[in-house]
Amino acid sequence: MQAAVQQLFKWMPFLFGIGFIAPLVAQTMAYWDLAAPFGLSRIAFGLLIGAPWGLYAVLRGRWV
Amino acid sequence: MSDGPTGEEMLLTRDGAAADLLVPDSGATAFPLAASEGLDRHVLRDLRKEEIAIARQFHGGRMWPYVAAAWGGFALWLSLFPLTMFGVVPLWLAFVVSCVLATGGYVTSHEAMHSNIRRPGARDYWINEWTGKVSTIPIVFPFSMARLMHLEHHYHCNDPLKDPDYSDEAPNALMAWYKTWFNRQPGVDGSIHAYKRILKEMGTPAAARALKDTMVLQLMFMAVLFTMAWSGYAIEAALVWWLPRHIGLSYIRFYLSWAPHHPREGRTGRYENANVFKSRLGHVMSMAMETHLVHHLYPQIPNHRTRAAYFALKPVLAKRGVDVSAL
Repeated sequence: MQAAVQQLFKWMPFLFGIGFIAPLVAQTMAYWDLAAPFGLSRIAFGLLIGAPWGLYAVLRGRWV
Repeated sequence: MSDGPTGEEMLLTRDGAAADLLVPDSGATAFPLAASEGLDRHVLRDLRKEEIAIARQFHGGRMWPYVAAAWGGFALWLSLFPLTMFGVVPLWLAFVVSCVLATGGYVTSHEAMHSNIRRPGARDYWINEWTGKVSTIPIVFPFSMARLMHLEHHYHCNDPLKDPDYSDEAPNALMAWYKTWFNRQPGVDGSIHAYKRILKEMGTPAAARALKDTMVLQLMFMAVLFTMAWSGYAIEAALVWWLPRHIGLSYIRFYLSWAPHHPREGRTGRYENANVFKSRLGHVMSMAMETHLVHHLYPQIPNHRTRAAYFALKPVLAKRGVDVSAL
């Protein structure tokens, strides 16, 4: 149980990227009436930003 | 303010010599001496007695406003979620209010950490505990962890190995603001990450409970953010909880940790572990931290009385060698 929780927190930045940053990007674009590039939907574009950014934070230990 | 005795009449040694005459001229010594280093133990003992007598006048007082502020603030903060989701309150206003509540919550919680609202053993001690518990939910900082770490900070103030807040130290204000953010990065051993490590090392039942509380609150925070975000309320979640939490934590770290304790290195003594300083934002906006030394000397003096207590104690502190020139 403890190991599972530790793993969950280790990967939390990645989950945060998918679970929060992606929809936040998509809804902010909608609020400002911005279209996603390359014919992508806004949420797909948000996931393209949020997931790699969260993964970077997991691997690097920093968000920037 | 000086309703109580200033203590000037008591600053005499047994043979009638004025205590401040015993303070050596620092220019005449090989090493610069603090004023207290020139005082003999009898004078120091008398000064301590005087200090305690003055401080006692400021213990306690009306504490119900802290309880009302904590519970009222928590209720208001909770209400911001539906009010913004239904468009009743504009997001910018909710954001500003949430930032104030997230930051101010630490003040009410801090009184509860020291059991200043109700003393342990009191029949209604639960009021103290629940005031603390609700106050720090907006910054996702469980009261059990906050109390343990804050008391460790008092016990080991400015000790680089034992003071949990030592990682807030920075060479200047700009770097201090930067560190408030940097220490929260996932791979950095600062802020709440350092607290978790210290709690694991403590290994006590209270520490285990604090770790469990932290895990539950953090998971709850993430669950709320994710659920709101994927339900179409990501901006509301960001401006009511996520961003105010970050701003509040940075403000708290800067004003409650860096500013009153900088520079930390080597300053572990009772009268030197916190500063008396003049804040650019004033007494209220710095959350009474200008006179944080008084809090470290007498944690049972509530936050709203530390300024008055400082001015009453000022002559004694000056005799002790504290730099009181800022206020």
